[in-house]
Amino acid sequence: MKKGRNDVGVQKARTADLLEDIMLDRRNFLFGTAAIAAGATLGAWVPQARAEVGGNLEIMAWEGYTLEKETEAWRKQHNMGVRAAIMSTQDDVTAKIVGDNAVRLDLAEYSNGYNAIYKELEVLKPVDVSNVPNYNKDDIYPPFYQGDMWYWDGTQWAIPWAWGLDTIVVNPELAGVEVKSYTDLLKPELTGKLAFLDNPLTVWPQIAKVTGYGEKFPNLTKDELADCFEKLKPYRDQTKVFASSNGDVISLFASGEIAACFCVWSAVPLETAKQNVKTVAVYPTEGGAVWADAWFIPKTSENIESAYAYVNQALEPEVQASVCKTAVCSTVSRKAPALMDETTRALFDYDNFDEQFKKMKIYGQPPRTSEQYATYDDWLQVWADFRQGF
Amino acid sequence: MAMATTTDYIESAKKVRRPLPWPFAAPKGFGLAALPLAFLLFFFVLPVIILFVTSFFTARSFVIEPVWNIQNYVKILWAAGFWQATWVGLKNGVFTAFFSVVLSFPVAYYLVYRARTNVILYLVLLSWFSSYLVRVYAWRTILGTNGVINSFLLSTGIIDKPLEIILFSPFASVITLIHIMLPFALLILVSAMRDVKKEYLEAARDLGASGPAVLYKVILPMTYKGIVGSFMFSFILAAGDYVTPQLLGGREGVTSGLLIANQFRSSGNWPLGSAMAFVMMATFIIVYIVFVQILRLARVAPGRRYHG
Repeated sequence: MKKGRNDVGVQKARTADLLEDIMLDRRNFLFGTAAIAAGATLGAWVPQARAEVGGNLEIMAWEGYTLEKETEAWRKQHNMGVRAAIMSTQDDVTAKIVGDNAVRLDLAEYSNGYNAIYKELEVLKPVDVSNVPNYNKDDIYPPFYQGDMWYWDGTQWAIPWAWGLDTIVVNPELAGVEVKSYTDLLKPELTGKLAFLDNPLTVWPQIAKVTGYGEKFPNLTKDELADCFEKLKPYRDQTKVFASSNGDVISLFASGEIAACFCVWSAVPLETAKQNVKTVAVYPTEGGAVWADAWFIPKTSENIESAYAYVNQALEPEVQASVCKTAVCSTVSRKAPALMDETTRALFDYDNFDEQFKKMKIYGQPPRTSEQYATYDDWLQVWADFRQGF
Repeated sequence: MAMATTTDYIESAKKVRRPLPWPFAAPKGFGLAALPLAFLLFFFVLPVIILFVTSFFTARSFVIEPVWNIQNYVKILWAAGFWQATWVGLKNGVFTAFFSVVLSFPVAYYLVYRARTNVILYLVLLSWFSSYLVRVYAWRTILGTNGVINSFLLSTGIIDKPLEIILFSPFASVITLIHIMLPFALLILVSAMRDVKKEYLEAARDLGASGPAVLYKVILPMTYKGIVGSFMFSFILAAGDYVTPQLLGGREGVTSGLLIANQFRSSGNWPLGSAMAFVMMATFIIVYIVFVQILRLARVAPGRRYHG
């Protein structure tokens, strides 16, 4: 008797059939695994046609500057995933994009001064600004629109998007003296209470300023370089320690080890305040040191459309205001200050931007190779010698 | 039972496989070591050879130019800063290795000959469960101006103002490095001492040797390799370290390790960095030779003890 479809016997038979269906014979198993293996390995070699924004974006940026939180909703809308690697120094980016072993990086940041070396190494892709509509003359503060760190030979190579100041930070209680200029750091009250930050990007230009070579930096001859560090020796006599990072400086202030730092992140007081230690950022008569970060598209980039869209998103006023708050930096967008809270907005006098910025200068770096001037390597050597007391 | 004839013997001898002559023959059990050996050859020996060749090249802005020269070595030879930094590293290494071995030797003795459990060993190894940087910062807290030691000395009236010299000094670097290296030194010594059977010590005592004589004439010569290994292991790691001296060594905390790292990372001058690394390696080899000679002069090297 043929049983109906709802009979228990049929149900059992169907279960057995299903099991049989999903059981693979050896040939199917081999075909299947071969297909999976081929898909997994060959898939990576097949060129990806990516005309639209989306997919995976490989980026490398400073901690706090990856925009994962700020762009979350926008990325979801475009089905875009971001894999962000954190750089601890600019050299981390360089190591990835230079040489025979360069790896894919869709978007990365460079600090001011690295334009020269990246230009020489030919690792930058030209930026088509029509793909970054938020980067326009009306919306961007003038120093950051087509400045020579990001625009040369009639081509845009990077998009500056965040900047800030490094300056003297003092713990007034421990210092016991008022600090208004760099020469105040030489007062006896501060002997053995000063720290230097090991950050060539902002510390070297300040050293040049303090020793009278500010106008010439970064192009000093070897004799001028030697003289520069000779004049700096009194500051070494005041020094207790060379700190390895901004975080290290914060820790030193918090534990009461130092009373002043020669040149460090101007937001250090906000961080030490969290540990109940009052410090103040002092803008000396010699001026602070400006740093500026720019997005660039490396030669090893693959998801270029998404890279452009991401940079454009980074320049959205809301995103700019948010980053300035969380990373304690300043904006390049004219529209962002209106969206900032009071504390973030107070980081810079945006109402008098042009006048205030006139006093500042974004410095480059010593040349990597030169017959005429002291090279980056020469600076590194005298900096190490200075630290050792030579 | 039939006696074996000469013919039988010759026939059986023919069946015995003769080992292949060198270099075709591999020692028995070589297969067990083949994989790690291949790993070392490929990931250590080969890169070292490449690095050595690179040290004779030049570099321009992160790009290596294969132009043979000895300029890197000449430059290092005359760089007073490099030798000063190397000297700082060597001092850190020697002090760290010496105190690590001296402090861990009695502990190893206790663990091998006296202890009934391994609790002490586990306690020493427990420090491995915290990260390197955490340990460095912990020492900063202990040695700091407002740290544990200064606070205690101030509260007990022993001092009237904080001792500034204990943090950001070579002392701070060395004490932290000893803390980091001591478990390594201890493990190597325990391993070496376990080869010296308790019966040997008892036999020496039965033959009239005093406690110090057992130590000097039996334990030290028989753990010679362990002592050398323990010392050199601690020395190389401590002398090459640049993070601890930078964070705790104060303004004199620059070691050659930092200069080498700068060449590879900031300057992009791999050839000069490689040359520095090989010069540093040469200084380590000199320290090894000197240390072995000192042990021989002290008559604790086995060759001198057994045949002298």
